[in-house]
Amino acid sequence: MTRLVRRVLLSRQALGLAMAGAAAWVIIAMSRLSGGNSREALSAMLIGAFGDLPDAVRRAVTSGDLSIPNEALRALAKATPLLLSGLAVALAMRAGLFNIGAEGQLLVGAFAAAWAGAAWHGLPAGLHVAGSLAVGAAAGAAWAAVAGALKAWRGAHEVIVTIMLNYVAIQLTHYLVNGPARDPDSLAPATRVVLPTARLWAIEGGANFSTGFGLALAAAVGYHFLFRRLRLGFEIRAVGRNPQAARCAGIHVPRTMVTAMALSGALAGLAGAVEVLGVHRRFLDAFSPGYGFDQIAVALLGNLNPLGIVASACLFGGLGSGAVHMEAFTNTPRQIAGIIQAIAILVVAVRARRLFTARPRDPEGQVQ
Amino acid sequence: MAGITKVYPGNVVANDGVTLEAEGGAIHAIVGENGAGKSTLMNVLYGVVRPDEGRIRLHGREADIRSPGDAIGYGIGMVTQHSSQIPALSVVDNILLPRESSRAGVLTRSRAIRELEAVADDLGVSVPWQSRAATLSVAALQKAEIVRALYRGARVLILDEPSASLAPQEAEALFGLLHRLADAGHTVILVTHRLQEVMDHASRVTVLRRGRNVAELPTTATSAGELSALMVGGGVTHGAGSLVADSAGPDTPSDAPRDPWSVIQPSPGAPSRRLPVLELEHVSADETADSRGVTDVTLEVLAGEIVGVAGIDGSGQRELCEVIVGLRRPKRGRVVINGRDNTSRPVSARLREGLGFCPEDRQREGLVLDFTLAENLLLGHQDDPRSGGGVFLRPDTMEAAASSAMKLMDVRAPSPHVAARALSGGNQQKLLLARALVGGPKLLVAMQPTRGLDIHATRSAYDVIATARAGGLGVLLFSLDLDEILAVANRIVVMYAGRVAGIVERAGADRNALGHMMTTGERPE
Repeated sequence: MTRLVRRVLLSRQALGLAMAGAAAWVIIAMSRLSGGNSREALSAMLIGAFGDLPDAVRRAVTSGDLSIPNEALRALAKATPLLLSGLAVALAMRAGLFNIGAEGQLLVGAFAAAWAGAAWHGLPAGLHVAGSLAVGAAAGAAWAAVAGALKAWRGAHEVIVTIMLNYVAIQLTHYLVNGPARDPDSLAPATRVVLPTARLWAIEGGANFSTGFGLALAAAVGYHFLFRRLRLGFEIRAVGRNPQAARCAGIHVPRTMVTAMALSGALAGLAGAVEVLGVHRRFLDAFSPGYGFDQIAVALLGNLNPLGIVASACLFGGLGSGAVHMEAFTNTPRQIAGIIQAIAILVVAVRARRLFTARPRDPEGQVQ
Repeated sequence: MAGITKVYPGNVVANDGVTLEAEGGAIHAIVGENGAGKSTLMNVLYGVVRPDEGRIRLHGREADIRSPGDAIGYGIGMVTQHSSQIPALSVVDNILLPRESSRAGVLTRSRAIRELEAVADDLGVSVPWQSRAATLSVAALQKAEIVRALYRGARVLILDEPSASLAPQEAEALFGLLHRLADAGHTVILVTHRLQEVMDHASRVTVLRRGRNVAELPTTATSAGELSALMVGGGVTHGAGSLVADSAGPDTPSDAPRDPWSVIQPSPGAPSRRLPVLELEHVSADETADSRGVTDVTLEVLAGEIVGVAGIDGSGQRELCEVIVGLRRPKRGRVVINGRDNTSRPVSARLREGLGFCPEDRQREGLVLDFTLAENLLLGHQDDPRSGGGVFLRPDTMEAAASSAMKLMDVRAPSPHVAARALSGGNQQKLLLARALVGGPKLLVAMQPTRGLDIHATRSAYDVIATARAGGLGVLLFSLDLDEILAVANRIVVMYAGRVAGIVERAGADRNALGHMMTTGERPE
């Protein structure tokens, strides 16, 4: 346990966040807009992101009131698509594939789930929800598998192909939701509202928190299980680290690549499906604010580790709304949140850890 | 070099206060077991590895070497075990690559070639500078690398296992060249496993053991037997004297005892009633951009025998091996493993059929360096529940299987959970062999399985193979070391230019005749 704590504290991720926080502190202090009060501005951001957590703990201890602050619920709701698509990117990365196409897979999955949710009449609620989620995941998987197959058998670079498929997905859903699939009664371009049987349970009010978050956590557990205990996960990692050795060990490299890409796409598609069935209840044109891109940052900040991805998704989920709160109450520009994210990612990406954390020397390794 | 210490992640102590003193104008040999720290020491000298402690002095002056560029600046040149040339470029372009000789941005190839020719002429060698590196033999590339190092102003030349991939005649020529260099005042540092080479060619020798200096001696005051004993350490000298002295002399008659392989003298008696574990029938594979093909290869490996495949580097051994394992589609012919036609089955099916495969390049094809030892040992056995494989992996079984496999081949590591990257080359090779032998294979296909292994590790490797052979294992051994093949094989297949030049029973094998077949493809009169 102490080793785990040590590892987390000495990680590049921790360093990146610390440096990002420090940089934000300095920037705010130097800016005239907010009066230069960094402490006030950043605590406003934290409260906006996760609510007044100390107060919530106090209430829980004194009066047994276990309610979670609304802000924290909102952060978790925002974290849900980030978590799912962050896992998607991380999974592909384990196979040595850079899936830039999670955005497209998410849109396709969302659209497919919206269609299934609205079109399948007369199903019992549980089955309808599960079926719609499955359709969303399958659509995302199929979309990603195209890129995987082109890479595996034709050598087309997955970065190029997934980027191109993003445009195809954006334009295709744009066309469908403005054309054949448009709900005539809706003012904005959107599909028909999904049937009540296809909706994920959600908290009433503005938090948008639904069982989708539980689903995303379950996906993180599944990800952990895949790479720890399943042969498939072992094969995916082997292909990612050394495809030639994997081939010599009898692993079917192209098939493993396509499988990894399809699983990755399924997670991204699931992210879209959860947004539709849990939040918007329909497919809205261009509803994604770029979940499919932020998740690359989430996966990197999480170090491809499921627990890390959960943490970084929650952090990113909170930063957005926290920044709005900060801007409203302390007049500090909300773009500060973007700067924090960017610095954290940069530090992670440049592998700065070595500069700061020297490995302790083993006394036995010394010259006698 | 004084007090060099290097500790790798995972507390693998590679060098522990090592000191090396080499004189100018002489050949200085460094010997030691696998993992003794030879490569690390040389990498420190060449600036590839930064030592944790220690100083380097050159010609009496302190040298601060932080990168190979610095090392070249100090007049140090390295010729590595594997050529570092880019196959698609010409030899001269490869040489110019790191330090273009240009005038106003325009490469001045012709001037460079003139300068290179001058260096080569001084040495009395010729190199086809304009040819693509891919078309050169290992020996020719080696010559080119030596000339390259001198052209860059090297006064100290490091050679890592230079004779490992050479035919006997080529090795002789190489050592002639090294002697000329030493006579011209250069310092030659020779890292090798072949103690006979040390005795024949070096003037001084440094012995390393487990990262420490054990001895530094003039070769006139020692013997191969003593060196071997020093390498293993006190007490474990059983028969080591004769063990080395008898090996690998070019004129040793083929029936003399040939340790380190003596443990596995070919089994007596005709193996005629045994079943074949591998049959190749008229196998051909097309030439591709990066390799030659194989043409009409027919051979057979019976249970309990070792068939050696000899040939100079690039005679189609690699391609043949890939066809057998299933990495390359044959155009014609049949590959029958364990009595079953496997011609169009994938690698995984062949592995389940009882094939054990030890690929040639341990780092590129064999191991996943970032994986732990336990994970590496699971590779190729991921379907086998006995190794902890199956749809659901079982970490406990994996760990137990890994521990016993590591014990089998004496893989030296603190635990099965360290990364394969942290092991020395020799220990990585042992890991690879252990993996190929796990699970009781019927057929072992091994490409250069003892490359980079020292005498004792080679010996224990063949000890293990001998035990498995007694249980019916058939082995197809690809090796560039003719002595190894002569020592262990029941039959010898000689390849030349993608064809089988001949199949010789070991009993009637003659070293010179085999050498003739390897280089000309024809049986001597």
